[in-house]
Amino acid sequence: MIPPVVECIRAAKSFGPTRAVEDVSFAVGPGEVVGFLGSSGSGKTTLLRLIAGFETVSAGEVRIADKVVSSPYDHVPSERRNVGVVFQEYALFPHLTVAENVEFGLGKLSRHERRRRSGRVLEMVRLDGMGRRYPHQLSGGEQQRVALARTLAPRPVTILLDEPFSNLDASMKSEMRREVCEILKESGATAVFVTHDREEAFAMADRVAVLQSGRLEQIDSPSALYHSPATPLVAKATGACDFLPGRIRGGRAVTDFGSLAVAACSGGLREGTEVDVLIRADDLQLAPDPSAAAVVTSREFRGDEVLLAVRTPSGATVHCRRHHYSTLECETRVRLFPVRSEPFVAFPRRPGA
Amino acid sequence: MTRMPAWTWLAAGLLSMAALLACAREVIKEVPVEVEVEVVKEVVRGVSAEAGSLVVYSGRSDSLVGPIIDQFRDVTGIDVSVKYGSTSEVAATLLEEGGSSPADVFFAQDPGGLGAVADMLAPLPDDIVSKVPEWARSPQGRWVGISGRARVVVYNTATLSDGGIPATLTSFSEPEWKGRLGWAPTNGSFQAMVTAMRVLWGEDKTREWLQSIQDNDPQIYPKNTPIVAAAAAGEVDVGFVNHYYLYRFIQENGEGFPARNHYLDGGGPGSVVLVAGAGILKTAENPENAERFLNFMLSQVAQQYFASQTYEYPLVEGVRTHRILKPLSDINNPSVDMADLADLVGTQRLLRELGIIP
Amino acid sequence: MTSEDLRIAAAPRWQPPALPAERQTWTRPPAAVWLPVLLITIAMALPPVYLLLRSADASAEAWRLLLRPRTAEIALRSLSLAAAVTLASVALAVPLAWLTVRTDLPYRRVWGVLTALPLVIPSYVGGFLIISALGPKGLLQGVLQGPLGVDRLPSIYGLPGAALTLVLLSYPYVLLTVRGVMGGLNPAYEETARSLGLGPWAVMRRVTLPQLRPAVVSGGLLVGLYTLSDFGAVSLLRYETFTWAIYQQYQTSFDRSTAALLSAALVLAAILILVSEAWTRGRMAYHESAGARRPLRPVGLGRWKWPAILFTGAVVTASLMLPAWVLGYWLVRGLHAGVAMGSIWTAAFNSVSISALAAAAAAVCSLPVAVLVVRYPGIFAKVAERMSYVGYALPGIVVALALVFFGANYARPIYQTAWLLLLAYVVMFLPAALGASRASLLRVGPRLEEAARSLGHGPLRTFLNVTAPLMLPGVLSGAALVFLLTMKELPATLILGPLDFKTLSTQVWSASSEAFFAQAAVPALLLILLSAVPLGYLMLRDRARF
Repeated sequence: MIPPVVECIRAAKSFGPTRAVEDVSFAVGPGEVVGFLGSSGSGKTTLLRLIAGFETVSAGEVRIADKVVSSPYDHVPSERRNVGVVFQEYALFPHLTVAENVEFGLGKLSRHERRRRSGRVLEMVRLDGMGRRYPHQLSGGEQQRVALARTLAPRPVTILLDEPFSNLDASMKSEMRREVCEILKESGATAVFVTHDREEAFAMADRVAVLQSGRLEQIDSPSALYHSPATPLVAKATGACDFLPGRIRGGRAVTDFGSLAVAACSGGLREGTEVDVLIRADDLQLAPDPSAAAVVTSREFRGDEVLLAVRTPSGATVHCRRHHYSTLECETRVRLFPVRSEPFVAFPRRPGA
Repeated sequence: MTRMPAWTWLAAGLLSMAALLACAREVIKEVPVEVEVEVVKEVVRGVSAEAGSLVVYSGRSDSLVGPIIDQFRDVTGIDVSVKYGSTSEVAATLLEEGGSSPADVFFAQDPGGLGAVADMLAPLPDDIVSKVPEWARSPQGRWVGISGRARVVVYNTATLSDGGIPATLTSFSEPEWKGRLGWAPTNGSFQAMVTAMRVLWGEDKTREWLQSIQDNDPQIYPKNTPIVAAAAAGEVDVGFVNHYYLYRFIQENGEGFPARNHYLDGGGPGSVVLVAGAGILKTAENPENAERFLNFMLSQVAQQYFASQTYEYPLVEGVRTHRILKPLSDINNPSVDMADLADLVGTQRLLRELGIIP
Repeated sequence: MTSEDLRIAAAPRWQPPALPAERQTWTRPPAAVWLPVLLITIAMALPPVYLLLRSADASAEAWRLLLRPRTAEIALRSLSLAAAVTLASVALAVPLAWLTVRTDLPYRRVWGVLTALPLVIPSYVGGFLIISALGPKGLLQGVLQGPLGVDRLPSIYGLPGAALTLVLLSYPYVLLTVRGVMGGLNPAYEETARSLGLGPWAVMRRVTLPQLRPAVVSGGLLVGLYTLSDFGAVSLLRYETFTWAIYQQYQTSFDRSTAALLSAALVLAAILILVSEAWTRGRMAYHESAGARRPLRPVGLGRWKWPAILFTGAVVTASLMLPAWVLGYWLVRGLHAGVAMGSIWTAAFNSVSISALAAAAAAVCSLPVAVLVVRYPGIFAKVAERMSYVGYALPGIVVALALVFFGANYARPIYQTAWLLLLAYVVMFLPAALGASRASLLRVGPRLEEAARSLGHGPLRTFLNVTAPLMLPGVLSGAALVFLLTMKELPATLILGPLDFKTLSTQVWSASSEAFFAQAAVPALLLILLSAVPLGYLMLRDRARF
């Protein structure tokens, strides 16, 4: 079995009384691209810095290529980890040219080799011929690519990217995302990146780790996360959703509009448990029915679709997606029926939640 | 608008400065040839091919004694190294160095400085100390006076004439001098004069005099030079100073400089003559060269140098005083032993009690 | 329902093994940082240790002298002078810095050099020049006597004269530190403020000045502590301060223990100032993003051009032209009277070379301290930084004697060599370099260092290849400040210099103390001129910077 490239085992980091990362464990395989998804303060950047070696763990271990690089008793400094880092603000050396920046990590090679390698990498990021410029003479996207080239040049075992596209404007962002993905795949690099943007995480990552308050909530492929979130938090982090109250009866969840087949999150669902059933906007379909109890409360035209909010008899609101020529207006009474092919996900309702 | 680049301004400044400095090249020191021959005879006794070295700590500044030390180096071939500083700084340095001091000779501006390090000084041979009068040396022969400086009153020639100034210090306590006096109570020479007062007059009379001057609201200066400048500018009418600063002002400003010295020839502490002197360290590594140095400083040529170049009083018989100075014999110098002036503690206590110094 | 129905969302691929319990970890500075800092701190501690040793010998009389009410009065005078000089220097220097860096003032680079130069005028010369010019019967009175019949100007002795002299000589401390920061301000902040509807003055007050505060405070600290330690100006202008009292003990009583006791009290006063400075500094951590920064566009002065030229010209006239003119007058008068001038080229060479070495040494020593203070804050960093100011706040003679004591008795091989003298300069002037180094390191974001580390460069190589080049402009201006301070330094140069070691400042002193003014004028003028060279270089290089 091929050992994982990056491994965190019960890693934790405290800054004084603040616990930035708590008990996080996961492994990244060779060639895999993993995204850390979380809001600010979720500990995702700290986790990245633990892997990079800029911070030391308070507990647990970080392993790279099957070697312990961080534990409370041992710390391999960043420069001996062979890990590449692309910073949010790129951190290009302002006093060096583009080529000198790229060659910065190639100290061990001969001058000729360095030239060749930097030329090769700059070509890969489509910046050949820009080697003599200074960073401040480049556009944001070009700076981004120089940062990537500089990181790729020494052939690191893994590349860590901290919010790599947050400094770019929206049109640039998707283009750069695609380019970076291509470059990463082309170089066959194992990569870990940090983002607060779900779309970015889903687009780039083979697997996404959802972090909340320093804890790893779930790590899985984007579709698995979306379809089978382990916690309500993951559900919310991976896409817009509603929770419909219900109660377990005979293995199904009984709700305002009938009983739904459910799978459960871990923990088991006993008969009579109060649950919240996760509803995504395309899980339900609706039909006008003057006798029905549910009412359309708002209508949002989005161009390619129409998003309707529907109030159920119990007072919960669920969203429902319709094709863009739907003419359903507010105050229309509608009947809801599930169209999801798989069982719904239900979370036992916590008392007081 | 065309701009002149900044560097051209700087370059222009540098060039004009260089031109100015070119006018100020070294001027050869003038020493009469026949005197030099005499000196060579006097000091060169026993000089071997290897003349050795000598370390002098000088509390007198380079501009005063530098030229004569150069001459000593030239005639003896001794490798003389000098550390210059104010007498107090050099004395404090010697005290901090203690037994590890590299110094051979301490050349001080005033007896106070020599007194402060007296314990570190070795007794001098009789043939050296006997060259100067008894009052101008340490009774234990620890140090010897090299040159004399008289206490005088400097006055503004626009407002006063020599005849209009009293002949004794006591007269300055009169109210007519209110607001017209300048003094430097923290200055070593002034304090030496007050010490002389205590020796000659006793504590009570000294206290009385200091108090009466204090009542006359004197202007306070840190040292002698600003007093002379202030007297010439008319900031004060008279000031208590050492005699020789005036002549440096005259040398630069010409005869028109509006200040002159007045000797208090009525006798008493007002006309006391102080000495600058030197001693040899107990720990000296070159005691022979050190003795040679003192011998040289007491030689005719060096004494003549002090008399003519620094306007001080020679202490050795047979050397002529500068013609613009009143001869030592006419000063009515009271008989005060310099060694008695070395102890300043009582004087400072008195000045402090009266609020004259902090 | 059965357990088979339960879907487990994320089946773990492996179970994390059990690991040892949590342990608190600290970010410790590497030995390459703390070891040099420790050595520097030990060197900095020599004067205080010496003072303790000497104070132990102090007699009952000395203690009585220290503990009388008069001492508190003198201390209060010292502190009020320090406060007055500091505030006035800031008031003078900040507008000057703004005019010479940010506006279209004509010839602003030349003004930049000229406004910084008064720093090299030794205070004992400056004090004498102020009296010559503005004394009751000074040159100004002479000018006014003819047309206005002014017979006597009001006395400038005491606080006003001492403060005026010290302000004119030391405002460049604030000027230089503020200039360094002002040139590097990110225009985005000011533009943002303008876009939010603030007028130019409001932008100045609410955006620009707050950004300058760290520089103003560190420059002001240098002025305040320098004022505490000055002897030349306060003695000539008759304002009895603590340092003046300390010198009295050396000069007239040859009493080292009482002087040490008073100096120890001065150290306490300096610590008081340092603590209050730390309090105003608060928690500053300014990092400029290292990306592209557009150059600042000069502010058009418009109809304020002439008032601005007048203001700058007046300051330069009072602080530099007047002294230079008096010195030139003395020189010409002396030459006219046939005064012989000694050669000063050896002294000039010594001055420049020892000052350059001192500047380099202080700049190098400031680097590890700055790294510790900025990157590894903690109690050790705090102590090291505060400690570095002690030597600066003490009168030069105290530092010099402390090193004489340790040098002559415990380090004989380097005693009376240039090495010990250099050590003295570092002990005295490190804060001047440290302020600049710290400020420039604050502007190098830690991300850049992390980037270098992740690219395989160890801490030392990272520092040499990334941090140091980026800090260089700031460090050089700190070094220039040390150069100027060393050029004019007197007591330590006299006491600790090798035998026969002459510099321009010792030659100025040697001649002026004996009233040979013409002889003093040559080295004094040369001192000013030679000091202009590194300043001019810095100003010109600023223009060429990327």
